[in-house]
Amino acid sequence: MEKSVFVFRNNTVERFFPPGYVYSGYDDISVIMEDADYYVWFYQSPVTSDTISAAEEIKAYADKFSFILSRIDDRKNVLALTMEPFYAVPMTEDDYGIKEAMAAYNQVLFDMEREHANVKVIDFSEFTSRYNASDLFDWKFYFISQMGLNPRLSKDFLAWWQEKLGSVALKRKKCLVLDLDNTLWGGVLGEDGISGIKIGGDYPGKAFLFFQKALLKLSHSGVILTVCSKNNEADVLEAWEKNPFMVLKREHFSAMRINWNDKASNIKELAAELNIGLDSFVFLDDNPTERELVRQMLPMVSVPDFPEQPYALPDFFKGLVQKYFKVYSITEEDKKKTEQYKANAARAQAQVSFTDFNEFLKSLDIRIRIEAANEFNIPRIAQMTQKTNQFNLTTRRYTDSDLRSFLEQGWQIWCISVADKFGDNGITGTIFVDGNRIDTLLLSCRILGKGIETAFVKKVLGILKESGIKEIVSEYIPTAKNAQVSDFYDRCGFTCAATLADGGKTYSIVLDGADLQVEPYYHIEVI
Amino acid sequence: MEEKILEIMKSVFGLETLDETCSQENCEKWDSMAQLNLAVELEMEFDMTLEPEEIGEMKTFSDVVRIVKSKMEA
Repeated sequence: MEKSVFVFRNNTVERFFPPGYVYSGYDDISVIMEDADYYVWFYQSPVTSDTISAAEEIKAYADKFSFILSRIDDRKNVLALTMEPFYAVPMTEDDYGIKEAMAAYNQVLFDMEREHANVKVIDFSEFTSRYNASDLFDWKFYFISQMGLNPRLSKDFLAWWQEKLGSVALKRKKCLVLDLDNTLWGGVLGEDGISGIKIGGDYPGKAFLFFQKALLKLSHSGVILTVCSKNNEADVLEAWEKNPFMVLKREHFSAMRINWNDKASNIKELAAELNIGLDSFVFLDDNPTERELVRQMLPMVSVPDFPEQPYALPDFFKGLVQKYFKVYSITEEDKKKTEQYKANAARAQAQVSFTDFNEFLKSLDIRIRIEAANEFNIPRIAQMTQKTNQFNLTTRRYTDSDLRSFLEQGWQIWCISVADKFGDNGITGTIFVDGNRIDTLLLSCRILGKGIETAFVKKVLGILKESGIKEIVSEYIPTAKNAQVSDFYDRCGFTCAATLADGGKTYSIVLDGADLQVEPYYHIEVI
Repeated sequence: MEEKILEIMKSVFGLETLDETCSQENCEKWDSMAQLNLAVELEMEFDMTLEPEEIGEMKTFSDVVRIVKSKMEA
């Protein structure tokens, strides 16, 4: 469904946004479209040769922004762009009035962002810094149509804007698959040897070192790093251990395929091992043939071109983050992700040594925490509704603001955190109950395969039963990715009331007499 | 060139069909914002700069063709 968007502006900006946006009058805050899904605040620097009045005008814009915020429904997002200089304003060299006013204005935006959960500041300098002042502003179009930004830049602006919207809605990729030779270091390990490959020291080793450090930082922000390389695994392990310049080592990769099989099959295996959809993968390889193979065999994997010159790696990295991995803010869960995926690998290995599955589950010491939604976990819960595809019964995408409004309407929202002897997976699932209807139920695939999903649902049904609810209704809405849960409610003891033409199903369960027993080896705590 | 200009006008006005008789008078999509967008797209397509007076004069399809041609010959 098209979202309706209302833009506050002081110049002509219609050309820069997608069709369908609605605009305020020029510098007019008297009318606010009430039923917009979200708002954009895009005030540009005033165009005048009088720096004192310009500075005052900028100050007034900041006051207007505060005023608008007080009048907008605080469950709706407001995306505010920073103010950037468009053209050489100062008439004399010691004239900093406008610069200071802009800095103060941007500071107000950032302060508002801290104070209001629905305000997101978008750094407009990310866009303007790509251009010279003479390209950013065009006097002719300013005089004939009050364009503050050169209309010739509209296509680029629109592409940048869509990227920003994507990062606000948290649709980033999850996993980066890395080749090794000539990708993470210069040269070929099998030919040049551990000390012959180029990492650290002089160029080009310096450039690869920069790249590895940048990737390490990226993994701290929650991106999963994996390796897919045609090499002898023993050689690589030795290089990681013995080359003193190596930044990225064994422990930074959640999984790896170092062998001579084709890379498409290897990537498919990585996806299965990590339980991440292929469309969340980005593959980096210096070899164009490998890239082409993966593009053809696995079209859902993103495969950017790789720079031919090592000195181009920093720019390449910046673009990579911009395009695939930018999120608006990083949650604590994101930061722990590498650890969690690795602990899962350890769990999978432990599983092998038990023949009785219940014995295995008992040995895991599974601790489940069911917690009602609150200010601290709302961002994480909203993020899960945006990103979870496989174990997701209805795949409804919600924002922080949606959640706050549901809670106000009396919905009950819980999230689940799971820990076991191998580590803490953090918040990995949620359920939304509106009266007696389950609106949303989803779990991260990381915690599946341990019966936690049914224990969670039964426990929640128990809570609802205690609160006096007699019957619960629910539904399954099929998507391209959630076939694995098509019979989940059947498995939980619900009765299928109807099957729809598209494969969707509706369910109900009478709580009195339903089997809500949970195995005692799940240690469940309800907060 | 007429073909190209028609294409640009269709895309700027968001119309499936459009012919040589198109003018500000008979085309409701041809408003002041569309006028601006048309000018920018023409400048970028034909790599030239239109003067504000010329942009103001573009009121019909034939005006546009005449003005663009005169710029290209100059």
